[in-house]
Amino acid sequence: MTELQTASVAKPWEGLEGRDRNAACMIAAQAGDRSAFDVLVAELSPLVWHVARSNGLDRTSAEDVVQTVWLALLRHLDRLTEPRALAGWLITTTRREARRVQTRGAGQIELSSEAAEQLPTTEPSPEHEVLRDERDRQLWSAFHQLTQRCQELLRLTVLAGRAEYRAVAEALHMPHGSIGPTRGRCLNSLRALYHGDSGS
Amino acid sequence: MRTHHADDELMTQVARLVNELDPMPPGLVERAQFAVAIDDIDDIEFEVARWADTRTLAGVRGGLPGTITFFVGDLTVMVNVTRTGERQRIDGWLVPAGAHGVEVRVAEHGSTTTTADEGGRFVLTEVPRGTTQLLVRMNAEQSRTVVTPTVDL
Repeated sequence: MTELQTASVAKPWEGLEGRDRNAACMIAAQAGDRSAFDVLVAELSPLVWHVARSNGLDRTSAEDVVQTVWLALLRHLDRLTEPRALAGWLITTTRREARRVQTRGAGQIELSSEAAEQLPTTEPSPEHEVLRDERDRQLWSAFHQLTQRCQELLRLTVLAGRAEYRAVAEALHMPHGSIGPTRGRCLNSLRALYHGDSGS
Repeated sequence: MRTHHADDELMTQVARLVNELDPMPPGLVERAQFAVAIDDIDDIEFEVARWADTRTLAGVRGGLPGTITFFVGDLTVMVNVTRTGERQRIDGWLVPAGAHGVEVRVAEHGSTTTTADEGGRFVLTEVPRGTTQLLVRMNAEQSRTVVTPTVDL
């Protein structure tokens, strides 16, 4: 039945943007349209990627988590009764999965969620080699000394600033172009770390 | 005093660094789309396995064969990959042991299936190289299916 419906008709998400587009894809995917699921994977994987990277995963583990999260969505597809909440579900699921991977890597030491949020990511960044100049290096190093929650917020702000990620902005209640008080504090921390670095 | 202009400027620099230095790897979307494109997946209850961390140490990432492990709940699967010319041989061991069905999907190459022996061992030969996913169908009484994220072999 689904095939008949979707064969000749325009896809229901065409022309839509942001959360409306995600929700239309979710509803179509729940009805069995696999191309709708592929659209979600194509358009929201960067969101999952940056949440995974903010939560202390290296690039290899983050790649696995992106796939794990999409498989988890497929598995729970019919249980997500609020299609408009997809971006929020992806963020929460990715954080949980990242924590699970890290707990395993750290010899099964359980971190409380508060402790994990406060934990700066200490991973040395191989990307340093391609940094153009010393100021970039210092800023990128300062960025990695921020709390995970700040790194996540700033990375998602970067995504939300792009038109195709309007759903991210909506999920995080981030109107385009605005810097809320929490992000202001994160930017202050970044500035302090950055200047501390360059002064030494 | 901090101004919005200063925040915007710093945010612009952060955006440039994030976009240039830590973009999503090329091909990840395609690998994720392949991972979810499993036949009849709508009709089965499945569990998502995790690769163990040893994979990176074994050097499998980057195309070098080695031993990799994945697990979910009480199930652990160890896989040893040996290059045989253009193709490869996969030796696996499932714990707890049992005659479980094993399917190896390789992107653009279809899939190969076999059944583990009572000791949980299985062998697949002449497996094409590429983006690879394993599925384990636990034997009848339990009717559990386990799927992995893909790995590039």
